[in-house]
Amino acid sequence: MNSRQFLIRDLLVLLAFAGWCLALPFYASEFVVSMALTCLMYVALSSSWGLFCGSTRYLSLATSAFFGIGAYTSAILLGQFSWVETIAIGAGIAVLVAIVMGAAVLHLRGTYFAVLTFGMTELILHAVTYFEKTVTGTVGRVLTVVPERDTIYLTMLALALLAVATSIVVRRTRFGLALMGIGADEQRAQTLGVNTRLVKIAGFAITAAFAGAVGAAMAVRWTYIDPHTVFNPFIGFQTVLITLIGGVLTLWGPLLAAIIFSVLAESLRLQFPQIYLMSLGLLLILCVLYLPGGLASLRWATFKDWWNDSRAWARDIRSELSGEKEREKQRFKRREKESHFV
Amino acid sequence: MSEQATPLLEAHNVTVRFGGLVAVDAVSANFVPGELVGIIGPNGAGKTTFFNAISGVLVPTSGRLVSNGRNLTGRGPHRFAAHGVARTFQTPRVFPDMTVTANIEFGLKFAGRRRRKYVFWGDELGVPWALRDAMSILQLIGLSAQANLPAAAITPSQQRLLEIGMALATRPKLLLLDEVAAGLTEAEIEEMARLIRRLRDELDLTVIWIEHAVTTLLRHVERVIVLHQGRKIADDTPRNVVRNPEVIEAYLGDEMAEPSTDDEEVAA
Repeated sequence: MNSRQFLIRDLLVLLAFAGWCLALPFYASEFVVSMALTCLMYVALSSSWGLFCGSTRYLSLATSAFFGIGAYTSAILLGQFSWVETIAIGAGIAVLVAIVMGAAVLHLRGTYFAVLTFGMTELILHAVTYFEKTVTGTVGRVLTVVPERDTIYLTMLALALLAVATSIVVRRTRFGLALMGIGADEQRAQTLGVNTRLVKIAGFAITAAFAGAVGAAMAVRWTYIDPHTVFNPFIGFQTVLITLIGGVLTLWGPLLAAIIFSVLAESLRLQFPQIYLMSLGLLLILCVLYLPGGLASLRWATFKDWWNDSRAWARDIRSELSGEKEREKQRFKRREKESHFV
Repeated sequence: MSEQATPLLEAHNVTVRFGGLVAVDAVSANFVPGELVGIIGPNGAGKTTFFNAISGVLVPTSGRLVSNGRNLTGRGPHRFAAHGVARTFQTPRVFPDMTVTANIEFGLKFAGRRRRKYVFWGDELGVPWALRDAMSILQLIGLSAQANLPAAAITPSQQRLLEIGMALATRPKLLLLDEVAAGLTEAEIEEMARLIRRLRDELDLTVIWIEHAVTTLLRHVERVIVLHQGRKIADDTPRNVVRNPEVIEAYLGDEMAEPSTDDEEVAA
């Protein structure tokens, strides 16, 4: 397939996904719709996360910071502004924070960047808690003006679709190429003319915009928010996990993994919460070890490789157990000795 | 023509200090259009550090870098690239997962991008014919057969050529080559030298070339800058440099002076 056919395929899949999601509230139960909502939330979060962090290999743990900023914007402003405006403002504030944060820490790489983004999230969390305690005198906030369920669902669907569409577009533009170049060799990309600082901040800001918007939309779903639920670092971790398991570099990986995750989460969390977390960990370990490209990189050939690998492994074990390996070694030694004498 | 009067790149007293170590010590040099300049010096003389400074990868501790009358001191490497300064790295730093063609196209899409004849289509303006697209650049460096291979799959010497190709893709005026012939055989070095001369002649480039294979280098360049312990100790034609007592003492050694003069006779 050439790149145009890939584009058509991706758009068709996206359209089909959109249609299915639109139809869902008409026939599915309340429980399934709420599950779909979580699922769409993680689709938006992880697709936008992968867009920047996947190709540039900057592991950002700041998703929950932007999410929380969006949620608080929504909690404070929803009375005065309309629904769409509130979400846009939430995204905007997250972008501003991301620009400041990015300018401060985006020159760092690897663990330093990950740890600092995490630290900044904690900083924002505690700053908001302190502010709420001393100035407003409350711990959390109750959202009174809440749009109906279908509005929230449609908003979240729109955000998820927009995240995937942005990902499609970015992959096909110079901006995406610049992000890839930064991931492969930042200095080389610079000497070839990429303004890496600007590109990185812009990419980080796009990720933040989606996280902020999703936070703003999700806050009304919860109706009561406090700093520890919306700035919960678990939101950031889960985004990272979903993207890694799905495949950071792939377009559909995050979406695929987000669906699997929400199904796992909703079906297991209530009955067996430990098993849910354990299966998360297990899935991550298996992916990192045997499927570094993520679930979306699974092909028929991958299964064949695994099959061949396990057969080779079994053959090895057999030869070991039957003593053939030992005999082989002896034969080798004898031959070597003989060749010495000759 | 006032070409000789306005240097493409001027380095004024460029100094790079790493903590207490002075890697480059107040080196000044002018590079005029169309020159092929060699930089030699023993290991640790500061050749690569000087390169890093004049390509913007490293911000010099003090000193000024001026390109075509514009001060570039302290700007990022992408600004240098936009002003036509392209470089290769000592160890090839190609994008391993991309194909050879995609590696070339990367440069074309960033620093190499030029305004088109019409807004969205037509030929790019002010681009040498040989650098018009990725295929023509590959032809120029002789990698057309490898165009669709991933860059990780080609041989190290081909990766060196690809490095040069990536630098050319930025449509440079000044090409900085950092030991592009390291690890090549005698015949391959000669071929590389011929390629570099050809690039210079066909594309009107200014080339600055660092190399350890001093004899080959001296045979091909028109001017040599000798660095020793971060200082510039000579800046002259190859013929004069090999006779310079300070250079002989610092670097070439007595026995090295002899074969170089032989080479000169061959070249003459």
